[in-house]
Amino acid sequence: MTTAETATELRFEPPGPGFWEQDPVHFPRALTRYWTEVHPAAFVAGTADFASFYGMLMGGLAMRYVNGIAYKTTLPAPEEEIPQRFARADAVMTGKLWRDQLREWDESAKPAAIAKHRELQSVDPSALSDEELAEYLERCRDHHAAMITQHMRYTASAIVPTGDFLAHVGDWTGLPPSELLGLMRGASPVSAGASAELERMVGAIRSDSRAQELLASDADPAATLDALASLEGDTGAAVREYLDLVGNRLLDGFDIAEPSALELPDQLLRTIRAAVESEAGEPDVEARAVAVRAQVPEEHRDSFDELFAEARLLYRLRDERGVYSDIWAAGIMRRATLSAGRRLAAAGRLHAPEHLLDADVGEMRALLVGSGGPSADELAARADYRTTHSPKDAPATLGTPPAPPPDSSGLPPGIARLMRATGIAMGAVFGSSQEEHDENRLRGLAASPGIYEGTARLVSSPAEFGRITQGDVLVTVSTSEAFNILLPLLGGIVTDSGGLLSHSAIVAREYGIPGVVGTREATARIADGARVRVDGDAGEVTTFA
Amino acid sequence: MRVLLPLTEVSDTSVFGSKAVGLGQAVRDGLPVPPGVALSGALVEAVASDDGDALALVAAAVGPLGGPLAVRSSAVDEDGAEASFAGQHLTLLNVPSAAELGTALREIWWSANSDSAITYRKRVGLFTRPSVAVVVQALLDPECAGVMFTRNPVTGADERMIEASWGLGEAVVAGLVIPDSYRVRRDGQVLERRAGLKRVAIRSLAAGGTVEEDVAAELVEKLCLDDARLVELSGLARRCEEVYGLDRDVEWAFADSTLYLLQCRGVTRVGGS
Amino acid sequence: MPGAPVDALRTVPLFANLDDEELAQVALLFKTRRFPAGETIVKEGTDAAAFFLIESGEAAVSVRGSERRSLGPGDHFGEIALIDEGVRSATITATTDLACYGLTLWEFRPLVVENGEVGWKLLQSVALKLRNAELS
Repeated sequence: MTTAETATELRFEPPGPGFWEQDPVHFPRALTRYWTEVHPAAFVAGTADFASFYGMLMGGLAMRYVNGIAYKTTLPAPEEEIPQRFARADAVMTGKLWRDQLREWDESAKPAAIAKHRELQSVDPSALSDEELAEYLERCRDHHAAMITQHMRYTASAIVPTGDFLAHVGDWTGLPPSELLGLMRGASPVSAGASAELERMVGAIRSDSRAQELLASDADPAATLDALASLEGDTGAAVREYLDLVGNRLLDGFDIAEPSALELPDQLLRTIRAAVESEAGEPDVEARAVAVRAQVPEEHRDSFDELFAEARLLYRLRDERGVYSDIWAAGIMRRATLSAGRRLAAAGRLHAPEHLLDADVGEMRALLVGSGGPSADELAARADYRTTHSPKDAPATLGTPPAPPPDSSGLPPGIARLMRATGIAMGAVFGSSQEEHDENRLRGLAASPGIYEGTARLVSSPAEFGRITQGDVLVTVSTSEAFNILLPLLGGIVTDSGGLLSHSAIVAREYGIPGVVGTREATARIADGARVRVDGDAGEVTTFA
Repeated sequence: MRVLLPLTEVSDTSVFGSKAVGLGQAVRDGLPVPPGVALSGALVEAVASDDGDALALVAAAVGPLGGPLAVRSSAVDEDGAEASFAGQHLTLLNVPSAAELGTALREIWWSANSDSAITYRKRVGLFTRPSVAVVVQALLDPECAGVMFTRNPVTGADERMIEASWGLGEAVVAGLVIPDSYRVRRDGQVLERRAGLKRVAIRSLAAGGTVEEDVAAELVEKLCLDDARLVELSGLARRCEEVYGLDRDVEWAFADSTLYLLQCRGVTRVGGS
Repeated sequence: MPGAPVDALRTVPLFANLDDEELAQVALLFKTRRFPAGETIVKEGTDAAAFFLIESGEAAVSVRGSERRSLGPGDHFGEIALIDEGVRSATITATTDLACYGLTLWEFRPLVVENGEVGWKLLQSVALKLRNAELS
């Protein structure tokens, strides 16, 4: 019986000083030991880089893993650097320094990364000796780490110009970010999966009847892809080039436990079919942009043009920085690990090849060269843990919540503009995916501080007041004065409408009851009788299933 | 004493309550308050008792205000209590004529003497008999209106927090919409503008009362306040502070391009402090 | 005319033993109050402000969610919490539009204290409620 088989209660303690929050948007599942070893240092190197390049008031973002669950914190900027950061932020905004980053990406970082990816993926791991394979795994890991850092390095340049555009144009027209982001369509062909290789392949297939026959067949997808790649002439070459480009990309997520494109031939084939069949040209963004521009006050239209151009120029970097960096490198690491895993499973060291994904690189080496390493049972237990635990089972936050935001008065204009652009972009660009992942969490305005857990009661009119008992959480569209009669009974208040200055918010603060208002859909999303946690500090309401 | 006075002359809080006196002071200091009269607590109680003479006195005084009326409670002993009484006392909008005024005043008297009002009073340490005075003013038909706190009530930061919506300010006060939210620094610099989801607006009806109307789709997420209006509101905040002191809860409205002050009272509990 | 109409009080059991002059004085203390159908007039657990006499309409009394009885013209409610200065012991909802006459504690208490006949009648009605409570 190994240690792993002993049932122990999981303890979640803050992995460092400060306030840590889960990141279920990027990490909806538990992570492998490999990932938890490689990611933290590589990640913080990249975020510290962009924070410093852009003169932001943070030192960077850090991630740590507690029982395999991801937690993120914001690091403070070093005090002594703050004056030069103010200056830097000004320089960034006036000099549009993100263009330097884009140039660097296009001219050196991206081509170098692609070259390295191709170099590594051209190696056949099954042909290597045990020692060579251990070395190869280490090279793949080092490359993956460098690519994680690279991905983060370009994060700000992907969002600052977009956010700047959303902030200014939002003010001038009153249009919400979601609508303005629609104007970015077509600016990022990569998001739609496009590339020169895809275009060439689509062109070749369309003029090759054998290829079209294969594509239309019902045969096994893996066999069909093989057949397409084996075609003679331009078509086969184009298919092989395309598969070379995308084959090792993870289809979803970032961890090596996620499948890559070649492992899901059915999906890959469908993507190819869709590309060949589609007639779509670039969506008619031009007309919509003209319409939005017309809503901008005349004196701002030149600025609109400038901001719009920057946003569209940089928008593709948002997806390219991942797809050409760590999403590819992770696939290469996965391929190497699975190859080693097959070798070790055949030798009886593992119960299944995939279990090696739950080992770190040091352990992989130890297993390959025979100097020890975890047992087959241990790795199987890790894999089992990872596939049966999710962020939903873990605390949403760890550590002490942060102090209220500092007074932002007195900030120089450059950094104020930068912070606003970043804030809006994070909300708008990443917000919608956030909502998809938070089925049990509702956001609203933090109206009255404190955290309270209790039973939710959906009450829409005075006729239903009898259902409320002491300690309940009132969930309603909005509270009129008629609801005042309930106040002494309530432990928390949640509303669909209302702002921080509405009477229900004011009264919640006076009664000292945690309150979250303006959630838009609390009455639709929270079931009557459900147990809920009202977090009036964060402005969140969580439902416990 | 059963008395009523034009707002400009109101100064005794033990008779008219601090809301009425506050508005009176505002008028005397040149703040843009819609014209009106204040009725003492005793007069309101007399009307609530169906005293014909009392009602006649009130009807005669409000005649000159013309048109529809806004009738607001002004509790007489809120001073000194650590509470805002927000939402505890009724405001009745668009009372069309004197006949309805009697009913309106009775409703206001009862709201001050309701179980929830008494519960609230006990909770904040007031065990004496409530007395509710009333302010009657000409009703505005605003384009947009809302609430402004001269200090951020959630974080305690030294900045103005403004919430705005279309039509009468009831939509913001009663939490019927997710209002626009603005934060403005003391020197006027705008720190944040966040468009709300303003699906409905409260407007007055010709025959009296108010109605909830749907807001046109293109206005639901359009900001109500432009820079010019924010500058005016900033100025109003400063003037309110000069007249009343810090930490004010201000109800305002823009009607016919004019900024009006509807209420100004103290903010009692401020988060973060 | 200020207060409640004397005729409305004449048939109310609580005031049965008062003569016309006393009745007129009591009537002056009341104020009319109307509740629309469906409104919760009184909610269990809250502090109390007023005592009500029903002139027309019907109300339902419930305790801890279960309906106990209904009230109609001539019935009164709300005195218990005013007497012991405790919280409301029952929830009362207007089943139809309700027209009432009401007294707050500040009128009710002096009325009872200064008027022994009213006090006696009130004691009788409270004793009846006590018996009913013991039986159920």
